[in-house]
Amino acid sequence: MGSEILLQIRELNKTFDGFRAISNLNYELRLGELSAIIGPNGAGKTTFFNLITGYHRSDSGQILFNGKNITGFPPHLISNLGIARAFQVINIYPTLTTYENVRQAVLSDQKRTLDIFTLASRLGRQETMEILQSCGISGHANVISGTLSQGDKKRLELAIALGNKPKLLMLDEPTAGMSGEESKETMELVNTLNREKNLSIVFTEHDMSVVFGYARRITVLHQGEIIADGTPEEVRGNETAQRVYLGEEA
Amino acid sequence: MTGNQIIGQILSGVSRGMMLFLISSGLTLIFSVMNILNFAHASFWLLGAYFTWTFWKILYSPIFGLWASIPLAALTIGAIGWIIEVILIRRIYDRTLTEQLLLTYALVLIIGDLIKLTWGVADRIVPKPKMLSGLVNVFGSPFPVYYILVISLAGFVALGLWWLLYKTRFGRRVKASVFSREMVGALGIPIHRIYTGVFVLSLIIAGLAGGVQAPISSVTLGMDMSIIVECFCVMVIGGFGSLIGALVGSLIVSLVYAFAIMVVPKMALVLIFIVTAIVLIIRPWGIFGTAMRT
Amino acid sequence: MGDIWYSDEDLSNMMKTNSFRLYLWFALIFGGSIVLPLVVGVFWIHVLTEILILGLFAMSFNLLFGYMGQLSFGQAAYYGLGAYATAMMITKTSIPFPLCIIASILIAGICALIFGYFCVRLVGIYFAILTMAFGQLVYYIIFQWYEFTGGDNGIQGIPCPMLLRNAYSYYYFALIIVTIAIILMWRIINSSFGYTMRAIRDNCNRTRFIGINVEKHMLINFVIAGMFAGLAGSLWAPFNRSVSPDLANWTHSGIPVFMTIMGGPSNFFGPLIGSVVYTILFTSVIGFTEYWPLIMGTIIILMVLFFRGGIVEIFNKKTGQIDMNGSRKEGIFIQNGLRDSATNKGAE
Repeated sequence: MGSEILLQIRELNKTFDGFRAISNLNYELRLGELSAIIGPNGAGKTTFFNLITGYHRSDSGQILFNGKNITGFPPHLISNLGIARAFQVINIYPTLTTYENVRQAVLSDQKRTLDIFTLASRLGRQETMEILQSCGISGHANVISGTLSQGDKKRLELAIALGNKPKLLMLDEPTAGMSGEESKETMELVNTLNREKNLSIVFTEHDMSVVFGYARRITVLHQGEIIADGTPEEVRGNETAQRVYLGEEA
Repeated sequence: MTGNQIIGQILSGVSRGMMLFLISSGLTLIFSVMNILNFAHASFWLLGAYFTWTFWKILYSPIFGLWASIPLAALTIGAIGWIIEVILIRRIYDRTLTEQLLLTYALVLIIGDLIKLTWGVADRIVPKPKMLSGLVNVFGSPFPVYYILVISLAGFVALGLWWLLYKTRFGRRVKASVFSREMVGALGIPIHRIYTGVFVLSLIIAGLAGGVQAPISSVTLGMDMSIIVECFCVMVIGGFGSLIGALVGSLIVSLVYAFAIMVVPKMALVLIFIVTAIVLIIRPWGIFGTAMRT
Repeated sequence: MGDIWYSDEDLSNMMKTNSFRLYLWFALIFGGSIVLPLVVGVFWIHVLTEILILGLFAMSFNLLFGYMGQLSFGQAAYYGLGAYATAMMITKTSIPFPLCIIASILIAGICALIFGYFCVRLVGIYFAILTMAFGQLVYYIIFQWYEFTGGDNGIQGIPCPMLLRNAYSYYYFALIIVTIAIILMWRIINSSFGYTMRAIRDNCNRTRFIGINVEKHMLINFVIAGMFAGLAGSLWAPFNRSVSPDLANWTHSGIPVFMTIMGGPSNFFGPLIGSVVYTILFTSVIGFTEYWPLIMGTIIILMVLFFRGGIVEIFNKKTGQIDMNGSRKEGIFIQNGLRDSATNKGAE
């Protein structure tokens, strides 16, 4: 494809109390990719995300983002460098309004969080409203986010991640708990973000129709190792992947 | 500073540490089982000392006086603890940290004033029983015999608690409830009774310690305020929720204090807090504590 | 998925209606505080002044508690430092009073910077106990350093600056200073930084993942809170004419906690309301009995058991909505996120 490498992972290892979560992992992501990570429960998908975003420190190995070595960096520095993350379990600010939730990320992106002199109401309006609208929750801008429906909360989850204007967006089960219709809307949004804004996106999913419907590259994880990696067709045809995970699906 | 003096200081530190342990053990028990930091624990200790004085006055008997007063006082405190657990503490198990701290802080205020109302502001003095009022020679240093009682009592309590927690069914249930309240409830074990039992036991120990404290120095208002903070230091250093930690922490705090008094007398109390702060900074859960179990 | 675009104007209009309500309350309170002294006697002027000073103290505490979600049981350390700094400067030097105040604020702030650096690395009960330990450290240093601070005798006979010897003058002086301080606090709380505090309170973990250095921000808030507490202390010294080490003791740290919980921590003015109630109660009770701690303890218990949201909450239930925190029109009123933050922080 010829586009540059955005994320590079070399020989990544992580063990928790004797349990090998990630094992000699090598992975490369190019600019503009829309890629899925799949695998059975416990395969290491969330640990993989956690290591990249700085939640855990790897035991050994390297993580390079945009050529810069970010191994061992704390989460906020990694976020500042351009990696944003949406969580599997809803991770929002329940007593703040929807608007304020997203604005917080925008303020962080604009490096205005230390500003004790400017009223927050004057900052970041344009960007925040744009994100709210693109995620379809602008109608609830003034609602306290703790009272939103589950689906709206998931959308807010994504919206907050977008507030950082990331170069790489990592989505942990973006359609979990959504109906078919809602899933489609969310994934269409993800697709649009990838195509129009050239946002590189990596997501994990259990819903195979979503994975095969939208991902242009699929990586299969099993017991902390990559056992298959390629286009949807390639993965579908991969026997090991079939055996381990796909089984009855797709 | 002679070798004798140093030994004397160490011994004094150890016995003071044992008293601190007696109080801190109850504090630790309550915290590890019920997750409540009982600001008022030293206040119950003080109450035990005052009740001991009262019983001693009533029973006025040169032979049995103190030996009967102390257990009586301990049981009284236990009874009071039972009432307080049922009426108050039971209601705050599920509340936020702030509300729990405020409530036990309120108990400090109330008990302090009730003591003042009942016993007045004058110091109360309880004489040591004849048998225990002499000095013995330990490694060339004069050592009050009474302190041997303190140390033995602390040892007895430590062993007793160990036996209770590790060798009895009650103890197993207590440890299970520390691990998971929901599970224990689901298994049909009466969790409230366990909590009440632990609370009452802790207060009995506190009352006992208070009674034993009474003959050591005069019983004064406000003793509880400074002791409780030392107990917190003990828990921080030894580890929240660990009985061994309470023992080790008590010894560390007391020995630090004992030596500081010799070398930098004015800084003695300050030093304890510096040490506490350092431990909290390096290892917030203390020497024997387990990480972040709130 | 309703798509409504709120224009800049819409948003600012929404905020304006709530701001209007707020300004109205503020004007009422401020106007009242100006007029009130003209109708009450000198005794109550003293009470009012005390309400202002302690109210500021409590509000400094709430910066950490209500808005950042951490319980500090050592705020009195900075209050005491401010009081002692001013007391010593007035009695031992000829530094003009306004400079004494500024110096006291700075001293309290520097201390908060040093202690805070370590405190912000902890949460929940560990944070509470470390702040308490540092508080006791300050207390014992003041207590033991007899030559410098007067030890447990404290410092007596602090003269009030010439122009403010009159109770009325001091009251209006304190009113002006505290009002300015409250306005500053309001601006800080509603600034970008202030909202970052709320984010840290609600979900510390998430805040890290949107690129915010949580410890750094918490430290800055800790220092700001310390400085406001120091300011309150420095107003107290010449007012009370004496200072004692007890000002820094952990039991004194309980006062702003009590005031804030009583007034309602989820409301900006909550701590001030708590101060009104506490001071009036204290003054009334101490008049006919010495057993104030007993009464205060009982009130705390009743409050914790039966009146959970504080006075503000009681009002809210009766009148609908007295919300002073900006743009909230829909949604149910939620307690200001006063959960234990232990589960929010720490990537361990």
